[in-house]
Amino acid sequence: MDYILTARSLGKRYRNFKALDDFSIHVPKGAIYGFVGKNGAGKTTFIRLICGLQEPTDGSYMIYGIENTDPGISRCRRRMGAVVETPSIYLDMTAEDNLKEQYRIIGLPSFDSIPGLLRLVGLENTGKKKAKHFSLGMKQRLGIAIALAGNPDFLILDEPVNGLDPQGIIEVRELILKLNREKRITFLISSHILDELSRLATHYGFIDSGHMVKEMSAAELDAACRKCIRVQVSDIQALTRVLDKMALEYSICSDTMADIFAKINVTELALALAEQGCDIISLNEREESLESYYVNLIGGGNHHE
Amino acid sequence: MSRLLSADFAKLKKNKFFWICMPGMFLFGIFTAVMHYIAMQQYGENEADITNILFIYALTVVFLIPAFVSLFVGTEYSDGTIRNKMIIGHTRAGIYLSDLIVCSVAGIGFCVSYIIGALLAALPLYTIDAGILEGVTKLVLCSFIMSVAFTALCILTAMLCQNKALTAVINILAACFLLVISLYVLNKLSEPEVYPGYSVMTDSGEVEVMENEPNPDYLRGTEREVYQFLNDFLPTGQAINITQRGAFSQSPGLLAAYSASIIIVSTGIGVFAFKKRDVK
Repeated sequence: MDYILTARSLGKRYRNFKALDDFSIHVPKGAIYGFVGKNGAGKTTFIRLICGLQEPTDGSYMIYGIENTDPGISRCRRRMGAVVETPSIYLDMTAEDNLKEQYRIIGLPSFDSIPGLLRLVGLENTGKKKAKHFSLGMKQRLGIAIALAGNPDFLILDEPVNGLDPQGIIEVRELILKLNREKRITFLISSHILDELSRLATHYGFIDSGHMVKEMSAAELDAACRKCIRVQVSDIQALTRVLDKMALEYSICSDTMADIFAKINVTELALALAEQGCDIISLNEREESLESYYVNLIGGGNHHE
Repeated sequence: MSRLLSADFAKLKKNKFFWICMPGMFLFGIFTAVMHYIAMQQYGENEADITNILFIYALTVVFLIPAFVSLFVGTEYSDGTIRNKMIIGHTRAGIYLSDLIVCSVAGIGFCVSYIIGALLAALPLYTIDAGILEGVTKLVLCSFIMSVAFTALCILTAMLCQNKALTAVINILAACFLLVISLYVLNKLSEPEVYPGYSVMTDSGEVEVMENEPNPDYLRGTEREVYQFLNDFLPTGQAINITQRGAFSQSPGLLAAYSASIIIVSTGIGVFAFKKRDVK
């Protein structure tokens, strides 16, 4: 798989506090990578590191295959954009002036594409209104427009829907999906609003206490979160024989437990197992959301916060 | 770095504080020239001398530059826009130097604005002796280098302190503190070596002649050299000297050399520390 961003044993220490510890990540090209973790887990610290705002104290990361210690990393960063925490915009300037300023910083020779960019983020009618008078959603979209100014193919958004109203959340979500589909931009989106993230992400990374707990694709997460019937039996071999015979999809969880991913006739199953001399000890229906999966994964407690 | 300079100069063109200070200094130049001329006329003193008012800006910019730099650079941190420069791969040295160059140009702009205002008002009113032009030009150039040195010190604080309000407080307080030190140093250097002798008539009608008396506060030897060094080295000391037409400084060349050393050392320290700094 082609990765746009990878990190290996990355660490960041602020005096005695370890914000990142032996952290690793793999962001595939073309993905919308949901970076999930609670407040203080280390999401923003990692984003600051890869944006070059801070230096790691241990380990390394690679952007487009270029190591962070390589002088060529600056050139690589020209292909990425980011909105870290709050949108980085001049509050005393209009949306157009903000974009002109960013175009100059990047060194783009012409401002011709600015109206199109403003249209893309829905700010084409802001005229001479200064950014300080914008709503939070408008500021967020202007921040994204600035991040898009250099036509990046990798965009990092740190908590992009934090503090937005429902309409603002929908607008930002649609913009992200549009950019991913139409411009093939890879996204790394950090968030702790899991429901919102589950509508976007194609890949997930779960971070806790500065450490990557698990990385998985949305398909793998869907499989893990699928509605199923968890059955505990006295003889797992007998259960697999019966389920194979009934042509049902299942996965074995332990020596006595299995998840069945189908709607089953309980009586039929119980009779078939009885014929094999196998007892049903328990049987219950399970459905996991991203939220419950996350809570199960992280443990739900306060880890070193 | 040309891209950063282009962006920062465009930002300067839209900076309100800059556009308040530029005409402000211009009008201040006209005001001081006219007021000095009126005062000379009223008190019937010697002909108005342009050098009495031409360098007053040197002291004014000591307060303007810290305020301007704190706001100009502080906005980069308060609005978070400094991150835009780093994220797309500009080097920290480039970002630092670009801000230094743009703020230095603004500082020199304040000086030039005052000089133009003062000259416009003074040329029809004052008699200008062509013989002073060389000295005036040297002092003006010296003041420009002094303003850049002062800007370099303010940039050092502004780039390393990520809080706009705190930067402004530190820079302005530091300017005041340095100015007080420089005034104290100048006061010590101005002490006469001897109190001149005088004659008094006693009650008995006799005239008593008092001899010249040495001044115990007059600085001598190494102590005087140290005070003279501080007077010439500190940007505020230079500002006072330039305002007083270089009366207490050793030479404009030395002032320029000290300013250049301040620019080089403070920029070197600033770039090094800024490279190590974590930006939020």
